[in-house]
Amino acid sequence: MPKKLRIAALFAVTLLLLSACVAAPPAAETPSEEASMEEAPADMSGKVVIASGGTIRIGGSFALTGPIPDPGLNIRHGAEIAIDDLNGAGGLEGFMFELVAEDGACDGTQGTNVGNKFAADETIVAVTGGTCSGETFGLVPILQEARIPFVSPSATNPDITSPDCDVCNRVALSDALQGATDADFVMSDLGFTKVAVVHDNSDYGKGLAEIFQSNVTDMGGEVSSFEGVQVGDTDFRAMLARVGADGPQAVFFGGYSTEAGLIAQQMTETPGLEETAFMSVDGAYTQQYLEAAGDAAEGTYVSFVAGADSEEMNADFDAKYVEKYGVSPDDLGPFHSQSYDSVKLIAAAIMAVATVDDSGNLVIDREELISAIRSVDAFEGLTGTIKCDSIGECGAGGVQIFQVAEGAFDQVSGFGME
Amino acid sequence: MAPSRLTAQAAGVNGKTALRFLLRAFGAAILVLVIWRVTTVGLAEGYPASFWISQALNGLVLGGVYALVALGYTLVYGILFMINFAHGEVMMIGGIAGFFALQFSQSRGWLEGPWPVVVVALLLIMLFGMAASVLIGITLERLAYRPLRQAPRLVPLISAIGASLFLQYSVLLIFGVSPHSYRKPALISGGMRMGDVFIPYTGAIIFITSILLMLALYFIIQRTKLGRAMRAVAEDRATASLMGVDVNAVIVITFMLGSALAGAAGVMLGFHNTVVKFNSGFVPGLKAFTAAVLGGIGNIPGAMFGALILGLIEAIGPSALGIPTEYKDVIAFTLLVLILIFRPTGLFGEVLSEKKA
Repeated sequence: MPKKLRIAALFAVTLLLLSACVAAPPAAETPSEEASMEEAPADMSGKVVIASGGTIRIGGSFALTGPIPDPGLNIRHGAEIAIDDLNGAGGLEGFMFELVAEDGACDGTQGTNVGNKFAADETIVAVTGGTCSGETFGLVPILQEARIPFVSPSATNPDITSPDCDVCNRVALSDALQGATDADFVMSDLGFTKVAVVHDNSDYGKGLAEIFQSNVTDMGGEVSSFEGVQVGDTDFRAMLARVGADGPQAVFFGGYSTEAGLIAQQMTETPGLEETAFMSVDGAYTQQYLEAAGDAAEGTYVSFVAGADSEEMNADFDAKYVEKYGVSPDDLGPFHSQSYDSVKLIAAAIMAVATVDDSGNLVIDREELISAIRSVDAFEGLTGTIKCDSIGECGAGGVQIFQVAEGAFDQVSGFGME
Repeated sequence: MAPSRLTAQAAGVNGKTALRFLLRAFGAAILVLVIWRVTTVGLAEGYPASFWISQALNGLVLGGVYALVALGYTLVYGILFMINFAHGEVMMIGGIAGFFALQFSQSRGWLEGPWPVVVVALLLIMLFGMAASVLIGITLERLAYRPLRQAPRLVPLISAIGASLFLQYSVLLIFGVSPHSYRKPALISGGMRMGDVFIPYTGAIIFITSILLMLALYFIIQRTKLGRAMRAVAEDRATASLMGVDVNAVIVITFMLGSALAGAAGVMLGFHNTVVKFNSGFVPGLKAFTAAVLGGIGNIPGAMFGALILGLIEAIGPSALGIPTEYKDVIAFTLLVLILIFRPTGLFGEVLSEKKA
């Protein structure tokens, strides 16, 4: 009896702690937010006030653990360089920028945790991130309620931005474009009519796979199978045997690097798929993909949502990156330029709305900042000239398609090629 | 007073029969559903025989890995009546250690040499992985379980879960969060083709090695003095100690055996699936635990057959039932729940020990 009681008590305490962690911050946030709507303008809620000597804190949700840790770190590095550049140029009226990096783990639950952390911290002005779409879906409702605008460098699921969310922005291109371009490439350029579609059940991978599937069907192609796996799986043989039984001409995978690489590799061991073409997406446009696939990577296709790079600016960025981290930016992942632009874009909007009050404090009005991001027009970034539209799509550039040749990505089609 | 108690008792009995009847009906309904799906959907797809053979072979390979890990669960349970939930991590550490041994061998060029050199190098890599797992296994026993041996049974279980997380995140911090990719040497890349059936060499090696290791374990337990001591400790720890068996030594050796098998599984799985990272022991660990329960935890042949059955069901199940392959884990864990409801002692019952508390 006492033992049972003890267990029950332990359980209850754990539950309490958990619920406290999850539920408390937004609950604490709501009253102050409502108050800000009603109170007179003299009230300082709804505004971020930074005392002289303080920093302008920008939150960052990066996928530092989870399925794509290297690209997550790469994105964090891009943001850090942007902060260095901003501060090197003197900051804003003597106030320096600061990045508050958190691990969003490429996961919705962790995205929610990070969002709650930011929402509970009144000094957070804006957020860059999240890295993955699922993670960003975790951030959206919390940041929307806390009135903290965010710009994601790499979340590509079409539903990240919507007319209902005024804090949601991204500099990455939507997968609506990537899925359509990929389908067009597979059917028109490669001339295939029967493809299998596989996804990793993440918001990103499954979303992209569905867009690809519907585009293929619309263009008169046949989708022979639509199979899901899990992020973190390593044995795809049973799934591939089934895909192979239908004899597709190509396999399309919506998901991340490691799974993509292992699928490409295990396809070579699957009857019916040994010679079948394989195509994956921007989540697999990494060195990790090449490493996981090994020799099987040769000849496979990967698409990427690329920016319209300006060469001098990128050369300058690359040099700073190599100097600071000792590796080439492309070694870890593809989205560093978007990440840099995301932070610079946020900073540009902050600079447009921030004012210094009589006591020397920097005052940033949250609502003004939210609309300032949307009105960014002709901002010169690493990924091209950025202009945000009314739902927060700030991406520049287009979709590129690469084929792996001799262990490197070689562009074969798409944006930037004649 | 007395009559009311009688009726209450009768109601209790009635309730129990009703519950048992409900459970039976539930089981029968699932069985009917499965048969219906298999005949109307699975077989109607018209997959060729070679497809089923391929899937069965995939399942046997998976089963071989599960078996090696499941034996660790079962051995420890047989002797200590505790579930060593950190066992999946012991396997993962074998895989990580194997990765570094492989890198070392590659840097020395041992894997490009003539085939006997490569075979010896591969064996050394596996031994290194096993040694690392053994080291972790006995450390776990010494630090996480031995101090709690007299504690209530729930306490070592919690300690095991803590140890599991500790090991995962230690590996994450030390070796990073990115997956480590095994580069297969040419000798074991590819596989053999028989008609439309493809058998990867690594798969064949896993299956054969796991059978050999299981036979070796069975021999140790049934035919050696050490095995007799292990069985004695499993039967009754206090009496065995009175008969002059060094109980602590036997427990340590049990952990060593289980960990060595898990380490071998970790290295072979690394070669087969080519990536290892900090959490790659978690799901296989749970599956192996399911396999051990399926066969009857504490029972050694039970763990072997339970694992092979689980592997086969996971590989063939989704196609046979005509459902997406992503539900393979659902099938595995549904099976665990069903076994726990209908046959808590597993398919083969609990043979090793009669002193289950």
